[in-house]
Amino acid sequence: MQHLNEELLVAHYYHDDETPAAVEEHLRACGECRAQYETIRRVLALVDDAPVPERGEQYGEQVWNRLRWKLGRERRTGVRWQTLVAAAALVAIAFFGGLLWQKRNVAPALPERSVATSALPAAAKETANAIAASPDRVLLVVVGDHLDSSERMLVELANADPKKTLDISSQQRRAVDLVASNRIYRQTAAQRGDERIAAVLNDLEPVLVELSHAGSSLTPEEVSALQKRIDAKGLLFKVRVVSAQGGRAEQQRATPIDSNSL
Amino acid sequence: METTTDVGTVGRARHGDPDAFRQLVERHSKPIFRVAYRMTGNEHDADDVVQETFLRAYKQLEQFEERANFGTWLHRIAVNCSLDLLRSRGRHDKHYAGDTADELLQGEIKAVDPQPDRLLLSVELQQHVTAALERLSGNERTAFVLRHFEGMPVEEIGKTLGIQVNAAKHTIFRAVRKLREALEPFVRSSHATSQ
Repeated sequence: MQHLNEELLVAHYYHDDETPAAVEEHLRACGECRAQYETIRRVLALVDDAPVPERGEQYGEQVWNRLRWKLGRERRTGVRWQTLVAAAALVAIAFFGGLLWQKRNVAPALPERSVATSALPAAAKETANAIAASPDRVLLVVVGDHLDSSERMLVELANADPKKTLDISSQQRRAVDLVASNRIYRQTAAQRGDERIAAVLNDLEPVLVELSHAGSSLTPEEVSALQKRIDAKGLLFKVRVVSAQGGRAEQQRATPIDSNSL
Repeated sequence: METTTDVGTVGRARHGDPDAFRQLVERHSKPIFRVAYRMTGNEHDADDVVQETFLRAYKQLEQFEERANFGTWLHRIAVNCSLDLLRSRGRHDKHYAGDTADELLQGEIKAVDPQPDRLLLSVELQQHVTAALERLSGNERTAFVLRHFEGMPVEEIGKTLGIQVNAAKHTIFRAVRKLREALEPFVRSSHATSQ
């Protein structure tokens, strides 16, 4: 009697053999092959018990907490550049529109702004009108969003291992965008006399500029130097404070603006 | 897999409900970790794979067919993420643990004769099983895990690894043979003891 080879026995175990009935018949008749098959079965049963490290009850929640940052970034990535530039443009339009209005001392120059923003989508026009209605609050909201993005970048940098090279290839483009919008917001805040926001943006800008010029990675020395700069200026804390104020302003903006408060 | 529950949750997640996606993450993280760990053989890598799996799933959520099983779909993504990770580290066709695993296996074979009963019931045996798995090449381990633990058909394993069906079948066989060589002494001891 010709015995079954090992490969056929393994295939039979996984039901991958072409003639399972014939193999079964052979196994019933041949003690030697049956013993071989039994050994394979036992070995694989042993492997079934191969340990997998336990993950606690909170594992799903932990995964989510790490993930939601990245998901937020994913959601923003597609529209980030356009959104930031559009928002910065709207702030600038609102600011200069406000100056013009003050000079002429006439009713709000809505028609002029409508002309200036005629090329913008409806949502952007809505924002422009909101800026005209409540420029300080909207500036805070828009800057808050900008600071929110910057904060995430700073956190990643602050938590990086200063002994290792840091890959920032995915963030460098973001830093370039943030530098551009940071300049506009800083100038706008300074011109509006909001020194607090202007100061935070002023402290933030050199870090963003350095990241935007860094290429795809930072050396351990660069990481360490940037971490010291962030730490020395208490930058993360300042950014968080203004960003949080932006969040609160946004919540207020979501509710109808009381015309009496204008 | 809580398929029934998933259907509604996936639908809500596709319509932009972030809380729905959070529920999916919390529900499926552990099973995805298990497949990722079996594929990579490394706890930290498995955690990374879990993250990457959900990130990819989120990006591809629109492509998910609602008739399909969300858990199975996630598993496929996790397998691909694991393969990408192994390939990126050049581990795919090399032995996972090299000398350490070999030494452990050598030691185990020497140690098995004196006290088989003790070993069979000990944590050490689990370590030997782990070492035996680590001794497989990347392709062998992947093919074995996909067939043995995931129940993936050989044809699909071939597609996943980019090899012919027969080659996939033979890769599974090589994996089982290596495992048998490493673990048969324990099985024999167990068999003899139980008789």
